[in-house]
Order: sequence, then structure tokens, then C-alpha cells
Amino acid sequence: MWYGVLLLIAVLPLIPGPLQSPFAQHVLVLTLLFACMSQAWNILGGYCGQVSFGHSVFFGIGAYGAGMAVVTYGLTPWPGAIIGALLAAIVSLIISYPCFRLKGHYFAIATFAIVEIFNRLFMVWYWVGGALGLDYPIIEEGWKNFMWFQTKTQYYYGAFGLFILIFSFVRWMEANKLGYYLKAVRDGQEAAEALGVNSTAVKLTAIAISAFLAALCGAFFVQYNLRVDPPMVMSLDMSMRFVLITILGGLGTFWGPLLGAAILIPLQEYSRAMWGGLGGGVDLIIFGILIVLIVTRQPKGVMGFINLLTTRFKATKGGDD
Amino acid sequence: MSKRWGRVIASIIVIALLAGFAVSGVACAEEKVIKIGTLFPLTGPVALAGQRCKAAVEAAVEVINNSYPDIPVPLADQEGILDGYKIVLIHADHQGKPDVGKSEAERLFDQEGVFAIIGSYNSAVTKPASMVAERRKRIFMCGASSSAELTKRGTRYFFRIAPTDETESIEFVNFIKWLNETEGTNYKTFGVIYENTEFGKHAAQEAKKAIEEAGFEYVADVAFNPGATNLNSEVQMLKGKNPDVVFGACLGADYILWIKTMKQLSWLPKVSLNYCSGYQDPLIAQQLGGDGDYFMGTTGYSPELAELMPAVAPVEEIYKSKIDPPVPFDSDSIQEAVAMLVLAQAIEKVGSLDTEKIVDALYANEWDSPLSLGGKVAFAPGGQNIKAMSTITQLIGGEYRRVFPEEFANAEPVVPMPSWDQRK
Repeated sequence: MWYGVLLLIAVLPLIPGPLQSPFAQHVLVLTLLFACMSQAWNILGGYCGQVSFGHSVFFGIGAYGAGMAVVTYGLTPWPGAIIGALLAAIVSLIISYPCFRLKGHYFAIATFAIVEIFNRLFMVWYWVGGALGLDYPIIEEGWKNFMWFQTKTQYYYGAFGLFILIFSFVRWMEANKLGYYLKAVRDGQEAAEALGVNSTAVKLTAIAISAFLAALCGAFFVQYNLRVDPPMVMSLDMSMRFVLITILGGLGTFWGPLLGAAILIPLQEYSRAMWGGLGGGVDLIIFGILIVLIVTRQPKGVMGFINLLTTRFKATKGGDD
Repeated sequence: MSKRWGRVIASIIVIALLAGFAVSGVACAEEKVIKIGTLFPLTGPVALAGQRCKAAVEAAVEVINNSYPDIPVPLADQEGILDGYKIVLIHADHQGKPDVGKSEAERLFDQEGVFAIIGSYNSAVTKPASMVAERRKRIFMCGASSSAELTKRGTRYFFRIAPTDETESIEFVNFIKWLNETEGTNYKTFGVIYENTEFGKHAAQEAKKAIEEAGFEYVADVAFNPGATNLNSEVQMLKGKNPDVVFGACLGADYILWIKTMKQLSWLPKVSLNYCSGYQDPLIAQQLGGDGDYFMGTTGYSPELAELMPAVAPVEEIYKSKIDPPVPFDSDSIQEAVAMLVLAQAIEKVGSLDTEKIVDALYANEWDSPLSLGGKVAFAPGGQNIKAMSTITQLIGGEYRRVFPEEFANAEPVVPMPSWDQRK
């Protein structure tokens, strides 16, 4: 199935028809990007069970890494993206060590505060552009500078590369010791420790990897929008998107982030395109109603719904036999 | 999930999609049309301002598309432009977010096929959205975004109608110099209080530059986070430095909180001059009552300026019919109407939809603009309207009195501001 999905994603923008329009390609790019971001969050929030609302901080550090490399130092975004991702991993370790002493809801609340702290810090930090943010100049487009002005196809395949990296890692993780450790800590920390799992080390590993990957997504985001300021990237609004997509798709499942993004992002973009201009937030109201209906009727997300259908199908097939 | 709920969700999606296509189909039904995109914050923290801007562009389009021989505005006496072409607006909402603004600008050009975009109110959104237009070599008309940076980027296709925070800062300083010369005051020390956003930060930078270039002393630089619930420490900082003059860049509810906190702490500067819509918004002035009196600020338009701009009244009536509750134009919304009217004049003058020729015409000509304070619009390289003017007004008893420059003045400024205990 994995290779089938990869093949489908690879050929999607080449299919003639409505997917060829620039707006449809924009929706495809965002869908892949948000699937990647949510999968990065899923490593900590889904597999390890530590619900974090602070991931926009790591996302933002990655965005600023690439942004400063281009705008402040006149380099290509690549070294900035790598340095930003490493910094995000280090920052995640520093701030999560004390936070991991907190359990359940208290950990989640602490991560709320971290977003606010970083948002305020970046707003007044002159070196990173402060409240004015960083605006990209018009420079040569192409893979070197990772920016294109007339077409979205290269951005799409850039996001596809990120998708392969992050989803392949999670696929590997699921089948290896790390994945089992994460699930063991999620399902019962005391029981896992009794069996010799160092829960603190496991959680720190999870957040460092998660932050590193989220920062890479942030670097992509800034290259796509060619501007970054603190409210764009380091906000509770952005953190909530990571969480919402994963919960909608299926928390702690491999396909959940992709399914969640494939539903939420087109819904968000097309509803805004169709009704946003009417004013009064009609698009947001419809968007909200659909989320409430889906989540309340199937709390396990879309993956839960698919599993239910599969079970019923198998039961029917068994009955026929 | 039960079948019933599945049907409910599916029905909502189908009905909503059909409704959406029906709305977008209205524009396609016309034949000789020129599509113009509008991009404003129709939802989010400044939705009210965005909706006023949208209504202002709609009012301008109504004047252009229909014959209003009694309205003394260019193109009002004919129906449409280019021998019968009607302008159709395609509205988009950027929610106050730069990333949404950029993607909506792309959608308007690439998907909706608009000829030009008018927007985007927030300077932070106008920057990336107008770069979308620049890269596509398409026109972006900006009414109200005030960041001076926007017209210093060396762009060709970007045009801005409103004065910038740079020109306003210089006007503020000139006003203080004029006071010192004519009223015998001796104001030397200055402070700035501003929201920590693209708008506020940039205004503060321009203020500092203008103050220091004029040889005055810049003693207090106070930033706050927009939407703050408490400004005690910020006002204490101002009170500690006690500048003679304070420039304020505070929007909406923050402006109210700042003034209420100064009253609570029994402190006022001798003169307070304010950028943008906190001071200008008549609804906020109403909420502040007497506490808002004696503050000053720039005003591009308010009903008190109507006698200088007689053409505004009939257009304002159309504007009021498009917004609920009906309110008069304010300094921001009227600039968006001017942006639409100037663009339409340029298209009509060129006689075709050749973007390059229209851009050349926009730069080469001086445009009649009865909805602008100076009555004219002309663009310098970079797209700034060099004829943009605003007056300094002082709010007293709910009335914005014009105090500077002298040629527009209808009242003497009351300085220093009466202290809180001297007020009734």
C-alpha cells in the first residue's frame, strides 16, 4: 500500500483535468506540507502520548532558520534549514526536560505557555526582524534558492521529498524498537519503566526527532510564502492545526496525518475560496460545523471510521462464507 | 458513524458546494466585464475595517458601472468603461494572515482571472500579496496600508493612495515646530507608544527618525502587545520619562485602554498625536466620550472634512447602503474607493486592458480625485501617491476639528491638553 500511495502522490499533479489549475496545485502542496507537519507532531503526540501545543515554536525556528539564511545573510535556504532544525531539536530538549516532569493535562498547559513566550520573544528580537518580520527579495528562482514564482510543480515535489523523508522515518520507527518504546510509554509509563524502559529518555528522543522534522516543515513553509513573522509561525493557531489534523485523521496511526490533511486542507482552502469573499466568516462556520460533526461522530478519526468499515466488511464476508 | 449522520454531512457539503458555485456563477453570467479582485480582512481581528474597505470599493464600482450625472466624480456620468464594459468585483478574505493573503492573491490572478487586485489594509499582508502581483506583472492598487516600506521596494506594478507613516511622522513634527513658533510653546521631548506589530513598529521607527532629524529629544520608546488587557506598566514608563509630546500607534480597543490607563494613573502628555484608526474611528470616540477629548491625529477623511470635499456626500450615501450598520467613510475606507476610481480612469484613458500601458499611464498622469483631500492623485516611482494629504485634527466634544495645516484649519489647537482633574 505504501508504494502505491507514493506512486499516486507522485503522479497526482500530472493527471490532466482540474488538478492542473494553479489553485488546485496550491491545495496539493499545502495538503502534503500539513500532512508532514502533523506526522512530525504525531511522533510525540500520537505514538508517545504527550500532547504538545508547543510545536509551532519548533516549526517557527525552522522557518526563521531558512528565512534568515536568505534575507539576513544572502545565502541559500539549505544551510539555514539544517541549522534551524538542529536548533529546534536542542531547544525542544531544553524546554521539554522540565515539562516532562508534568503529566497529562499539565504538560499540555505548559506547552501553551511556551508558544506565548517564544512569540513575544521573537516579536521584540531585533536580530530576527522583530514584529516587522522577514520579507524575501526577488532573487533567482530554482532549486538552489528553493523558490519559484510562476509554478507550483517544483514546490509540490519538494513537499513530496519531505513527505517521503518523514513518513519513511515513521514507517521505520513503527517496525522498530523505538516505536514499541513510544507506545509502551503512552499506554502505561509505570508499566513500561517496570519492564526497563527509560521513559524520560524515550520522551526526550521523541520530542527531539519531532521538533527536528517540524522545523524542516517550517523551512519549507517560509520558502513557500516568502515571508515570515512571529504570528505567522509561532502561534497557538498554528499549533492547533498540527493537533487538529492528526486527531481528525487518527491519533497515533501512520495514515492518520495524511488522511486528516487530505480532508481538512482542501475543505479549508476551497471553503474560503468559495465563501470567504461573502464576509461574515461563512466559510469558517461551515468548516467548523463539519469538523464538529466528524469528530463527535467518530472520535477515533477517519482511520477509526475506515477500521470500522473494514471490520464490518470482513464480518459480512465471513458471514457469506 | 450512522448512515443518518453520514447523509447529514454529505448533504451539507453538497448544498454548500452548490451555493458556492451559484455565487461564483453570478460574475460569469455577464459578458463585457473586467474582473477586479478585492483582498481585505473580512474575518479576524480587524474584520470591521476590512468590511468597510470592501463596501467602499463596491460603492466606487457602482458609480463607475452606472450613470450618475449628478455626482461630480470622474466616470460617474457614463455607464461602465471602454464603451460598455462593467467592472465585476471578486472578493477574497485574507483573515489578517500574510500566508492566506499571498495564496488568495495567487488564486484571484490564476484561478479567477482578475485584471488587478485592490487591497489589503494590513501592511503585513499587502507586502507578500503585492509581490504576487509584481512577479506576474499585474497591477496591485493599495488604498490604506500605511507602511512606508511598501513603496520603497522598487516595484513597478504596486500603487498606494494613502499617506505613509513616514509622511505622517514628518507632519506631526512639523506641527510641533509650528506650535513652538506660533503658540510660544517649548515642546522638546518626545515619546512613542505603539503596538508591537508590523504597523506599530514601522510607525515608531519613522517617528524616531523624524523626531531626531528635527533636533528634538526622543526619550520614551514603549511597545505593547496588541490586544493587551493591561497597559499599566507601559503608561508608567511614559509617566516616568514624562515627554512633552507622545505619538501613539494604537488600534481599536488598545487605544481605548491606553487612554483609560492614563486617566487611571493621572498622567497626560502636553500633546498627543496618533496614527491610524484608533483615534480616527468615530465609534471609538463615542465610547471614550469626554476622555477622548483633546487628543489629536491625522485624518484623511471624516464627516467634518466634507465641506472641503463636496463630492464625497453622494458617494457616501451609496457606501452607507452597502454596510450594516451604515457609517460614514473613514480615512481608510475612502482610500480604497479612490484606488478603484483611479484604476478605472487609467483603463479608460488607455482604452484597452494592456497592463503595461495602464501602468505607464498611472505614472505619467495626474488624476482627478474629488474623494481625496488634495483633489489629485499622482504616483512617484515605487508607486507612492505624492499628492496624498491628510490634516491634523483635534477631537473635542465628538467633533474632529481641523487644526493643521493652516490652509485647512477651522479651529485653533487646544494645547497643552487639560489635565484629567481640569476636565468636567
